[in-house]
Amino acid sequence: MSSSAFVSVVDDDESVRESLPALLRELGYVVEVYASAEEFLVSDRARDTRCLILDIFLRGMTASEFIRELADRRLAVPTIFITAHSDEELRSRLLSEGAVECLFKPFSDTALIAALDAAFRIQRLH
Amino acid sequence: MVLAVTADRVSLQWISWCPATGELSGAEPLYHLLGIDDAGTRTLATLLSRVHPEDAAPLRAGLEQAGRGAGAIAVEFRLFATDRCVSHIQLAARGVCDSRGRPGVIGVVQDVSAQRECEQALAQAQADLAYAARVMSLGSLSASIAHEIKQPLSGIITNASTCLRMLAADPPDFAGARETARRTLRDGNRASDVITRLRALFTRKTADDETANLNELVQEALALAYGDLQCRRIAIGTQLTEELPCVRGDRIQLYQVVLNLVLNAADAMDSIEERPRRLMIRTEWEGVERVRLSVEDTGTGFAAHEARLFEPFFTTKSGGMGIGLAVSRTIIDRHGGRLWAMANEGPGATFCFCLPCECPSLPDPGFVPRDRARTLSLEQR
Repeated sequence: MSSSAFVSVVDDDESVRESLPALLRELGYVVEVYASAEEFLVSDRARDTRCLILDIFLRGMTASEFIRELADRRLAVPTIFITAHSDEELRSRLLSEGAVECLFKPFSDTALIAALDAAFRIQRLH
Repeated sequence: MVLAVTADRVSLQWISWCPATGELSGAEPLYHLLGIDDAGTRTLATLLSRVHPEDAAPLRAGLEQAGRGAGAIAVEFRLFATDRCVSHIQLAARGVCDSRGRPGVIGVVQDVSAQRECEQALAQAQADLAYAARVMSLGSLSASIAHEIKQPLSGIITNASTCLRMLAADPPDFAGARETARRTLRDGNRASDVITRLRALFTRKTADDETANLNELVQEALALAYGDLQCRRIAIGTQLTEELPCVRGDRIQLYQVVLNLVLNAADAMDSIEERPRRLMIRTEWEGVERVRLSVEDTGTGFAAHEARLFEPFFTTKSGGMGIGLAVSRTIIDRHGGRLWAMANEGPGATFCFCLPCECPSLPDPGFVPRDRARTLSLEQR
């Protein structure tokens, strides 16, 4: 699989860090997993990421701070937010700020696949 | 006569017992109180047949002891009245000799049923209030609880999708599917643990004979409130003393106190923007027979409210009812401990409680409790 299908998952929850990459690999993506935003930012492979799947409530940094940091480092990529807090207001704000999708946990594989398709469509457009 | 009237006014009744004949005697109100109105029934044997089985032997032993002249006795017993009600009767008596030198017992009895009923009603009201406060604090945690359940659920659903795909592949990936099923089980157990923890908090039962470890209570309270604290951008720190002895009491109520102190600290930091919101929980020895838990925040502090903090229905929060701290203090008092608040040297406040511990270790000759000097100086302020 080429680096064109490279997905990074950032989530502080262990269940998600184990289950989501397994499904993504099953779907044919190359996956790296990070427990924190900082861990992702300092990794060598951040620059190869074509789609970022990010839990909104990360320890340390908030989602907005993280997105700003990505832009500053010229690392901005199509981002799918995931969260265990079903907050519709937050979802619409994130979508209006350019997020590809915001999925509420637990989400189905079809919802995930649709979001990934959208993210890689955007990726191809660039 | 004067004495008899006085005794009647305070509902005390004179009683005497003759060990030789087994006869009980006194005035009419005594017979009525003990349900031995008929002359032929005024014996200890008849009385004992109406006394609660658990109390009959101690009552007989007490009277016999007094009859032998072995000093004054005081016993309380439950008496089944004819209308099936239970009366609580107190007896104070001592041995005497009559004019012919025969040993006997004289004393007074008093119906303390009303007092016992009040005590039971008070205990019940306290338990009900503690339960109400607990359910309320769980209400405020509903988002956090949903978060704690959705995380493993998310794992379960993703794992199940992966597992199906691995089995449907050509050739099927059995090893991968097995591993994924194992992870599904683990996440299922994790979700179930969250529910078990919650069910315990929703129970009404009270138990005073359990043991509780403060460190475990801290970890459980933080697990439950974690999502909530994270949402409110509160950094959590703990300094838990290892091998802390257990305390005896009602585990759920003590858990409730810890959870309440954590949520109060979080509430106190909601409006803080100019400095980090930090929650620090410590457990440690207090002397050699007590253990202490403290919850420190960097919130608004309690400034002028110090004197009223623990008053029922006193609150500075818009959504609060002001019973959390009052209930917490009642619970800690009932466990033979103490709950207090102190202002931090920097911003915020620290709430502490100490409780007697189960198996006090022998004092080390050179043992000086950590932080002792600091605690004292803070309390004096």
